[in-house]
Amino acid sequence: MSIASRYPRRRTGEPGRRGWLDRRGRLGYGLVGAVGFLLVWELGSRAGAINEFFFSRPTAIVAAGMVEVQVPRFWDDVRRSLTEFLVGYGLAIAVGVPVGLLTGWFRRLQYSLDPWLNFLNSIPRFALLPVIVIATGLGMWSVIVVAFLGAVLAIIIPTIQGVRTVDRRFLDVASSFGASRPRLFATVVAPATVPFMVSGLRLGIGRALIGVVTGELFAATGGLGHMIKRASDTLQTDKLLFGVLIFTFAGIILVEAVRRLEARVQRWRPVRQGAAA
Amino acid sequence: MTTESVAHRAPPNPPSTARWRPSERLVFGLLGFVVVLSVWEAVSVLGLVKKVVLSSPTLILNAAIKDISNGVIWPHLQASGTEYVLGFLAALVVGVPVGLAIGLFRRLNYLLDPWLSAIYATPTVALAPLIIIILGIGLEAKVFIVFLEAIFVIVVSTMAGVHAADAHFHDIAESFRASRWMRFRSVVLPASVPYILTGARLGTGRALVGVVIAEFLASNGGIGFYILLNGSILQTARVYFGIVLLGILGVALGEFVRVIERRFDRWRPAIR
Amino acid sequence: MTTGGMALRARGVQFTYIDPTTHDRLVAIEHIDLEIPEGQFVSIVGPSGCGKSTFLKIVNGLLPDYQGEIEVLQRRSEGSAHAMVFQDAALFPWFSILANVAYGLRCRGIPSKVANERAMPFIRMVGLEGFEAKYPYQLSGGMQQRANLARALTVDPEILLMDEPFAALDAQTRELMQAELLRIWAEARKTVLFITHQIDEAIYLSDRVLVMSARPGRLLADIPIDLPRPRELRIKRTPGFTALADQIWELITPQIRPDVPAAD
Repeated sequence: MSIASRYPRRRTGEPGRRGWLDRRGRLGYGLVGAVGFLLVWELGSRAGAINEFFFSRPTAIVAAGMVEVQVPRFWDDVRRSLTEFLVGYGLAIAVGVPVGLLTGWFRRLQYSLDPWLNFLNSIPRFALLPVIVIATGLGMWSVIVVAFLGAVLAIIIPTIQGVRTVDRRFLDVASSFGASRPRLFATVVAPATVPFMVSGLRLGIGRALIGVVTGELFAATGGLGHMIKRASDTLQTDKLLFGVLIFTFAGIILVEAVRRLEARVQRWRPVRQGAAA
Repeated sequence: MTTESVAHRAPPNPPSTARWRPSERLVFGLLGFVVVLSVWEAVSVLGLVKKVVLSSPTLILNAAIKDISNGVIWPHLQASGTEYVLGFLAALVVGVPVGLAIGLFRRLNYLLDPWLSAIYATPTVALAPLIIIILGIGLEAKVFIVFLEAIFVIVVSTMAGVHAADAHFHDIAESFRASRWMRFRSVVLPASVPYILTGARLGTGRALVGVVIAEFLASNGGIGFYILLNGSILQTARVYFGIVLLGILGVALGEFVRVIERRFDRWRPAIR
Repeated sequence: MTTGGMALRARGVQFTYIDPTTHDRLVAIEHIDLEIPEGQFVSIVGPSGCGKSTFLKIVNGLLPDYQGEIEVLQRRSEGSAHAMVFQDAALFPWFSILANVAYGLRCRGIPSKVANERAMPFIRMVGLEGFEAKYPYQLSGGMQQRANLARALTVDPEILLMDEPFAALDAQTRELMQAELLRIWAEARKTVLFITHQIDEAIYLSDRVLVMSARPGRLLADIPIDLPRPRELRIKRTPGFTALADQIWELITPQIRPDVPAAD
């Protein structure tokens, strides 16, 4: 006696039932998720199920934004935050890249600095704010220093890693042609490190942005972070969330920009992986 | 130089080569530590930078000894510790299942995608004042701020872990007719454990940021408060002491998770 | 009675891959009819990309969207119709050898204690006693494939499906494993469907060698191997063996040529 077993047609991977949403995939669901959440928020707030005083509602935030953009002080805040961000981030690049390259290149220097880098990397750097304020006073420079401190380690650490992980074979090739150490550094180490540096730059953007917000929340007389603080002091949650939203958009745009840059500098990399043996 | 080459060329006496020699890493690490501290002390003593800004290692040590021996620091440590532990554990307890769910269910992932991207780009610090408005200035608000700072890296890392399992292993599970639950247990979960732990390790750092933010914004206790208070009365040495404490906590917590990571890595060949 | 005493019966099996983004269609298997009597050791050889692995996956149920009919004998309610021995790196790296071998039983809801007890005889059969607590990375490639085989045998399948299980092994280990497989096969009395691109491996192991054409895959020939059993490795150097190898090689060569420029 034998019983034949026939395979049930089982679904693997892609689902069999594909409705309107599934055909639109990520975009369709994303749209539904975004719009749905906003609707629940808005309607819940209007119906009284969500406390508007605490959570505001989407249309109120937009309205607050419309009012805010007509106030000259708002644009002063924007300019100020932008300046602080650019100066702090720029300084972090100017210091972080060379320090990272040198520290990675000189092994003993790296060993010497390791404990300090580790220590600094594990503390919230803005905890230094009280000292920074004592040194620079309340103002733009205190915020710039916080943004700088936030970003600089995010740039230094991947750069060191990049230098340290340069493929031995390329170094051997270069030295076999009699390349001097500076040439070795310029022709092998620096290009090989670029991808690491760029990912450091990407991380640094977020850190610098956080630094600007933190600095302005606690130690500034202006800027968008300070605007959030003012809104919070006067319990204007709609204005507060408008301020948060600006940072969200700034973050999205900046991260996207660096991602583009990242793709650009990595063009020489083959997409295929693990070919050489 | 010469002793080294001799040591390499003379293997007949293994016990002598096994003698403990400090590694270069350790020697230079200590050297760097001492040099930086000495320069700091010298700059301060010579008055190159104002003491009220830079303080000095000996001043910080004195402040530390004083505040430890008279017990001033303990209530602050306890307050911060409570916020930290509650907030971080809540972030783990919520973040890991949420990350697994988003990773496992494609449609949920798509649905939440815009919000995840938005939160990713937002400096969550900016939301802290709102949380104080909503939850007040008590423990709840601080725990929630810690939670909010820590949860995102945990969720994102866990999500990445779910997708990290090689498709090959899914095939094997499928060929043995593994149930969904069995497949989750045997393929998805083991592959994502390292990612979950990485998320947790990053989360320990973020949670510490959350503690200081919360205490800077509204508190009457905790390390952040201790730092802020002493800053306002120009007790710079105590500010630095508070920061050193944060550093010790940060390094210790990170190492603690590393130890757990290694424990879960038994099935991997040891590298290095 | 539908399989008619056959361990496996395939009728008009056809498979087309559809690229999910470009919607291009690629016919991997054009038409396969095949019957394998119980207890037989059958190999399929063919040029790379001929669809032999695809066919195995279909039999294994990993590719449900095939056309045609496949029937696998199942006499008992317990035990599987089939089990697969995959290529290299197919053990779960995070489980011990014992947990890996017991995996198929665990998938059927058998509690781990019972599953482990039932896995032990198979670990012994493949010669891995003493290694059950090790993790896969601690074993050599050959030993990993023994564990892989034990895992498939543990579920007591009617037919054992093997997808180039020795492809990643070095030449000497591969030869040893071939001899080991024959020993285990004689002991376990299973029907085997074995995929390989090594002609000598196919002849040495099998009762029948099926030769497959280049894509789209069809069966070109069904060659009975009448070499006496038990076979020793030195049988590979006998004239009868080399004659068979030449015969199969003649069939495959014209199939490889057209693919050479396209391959790279």
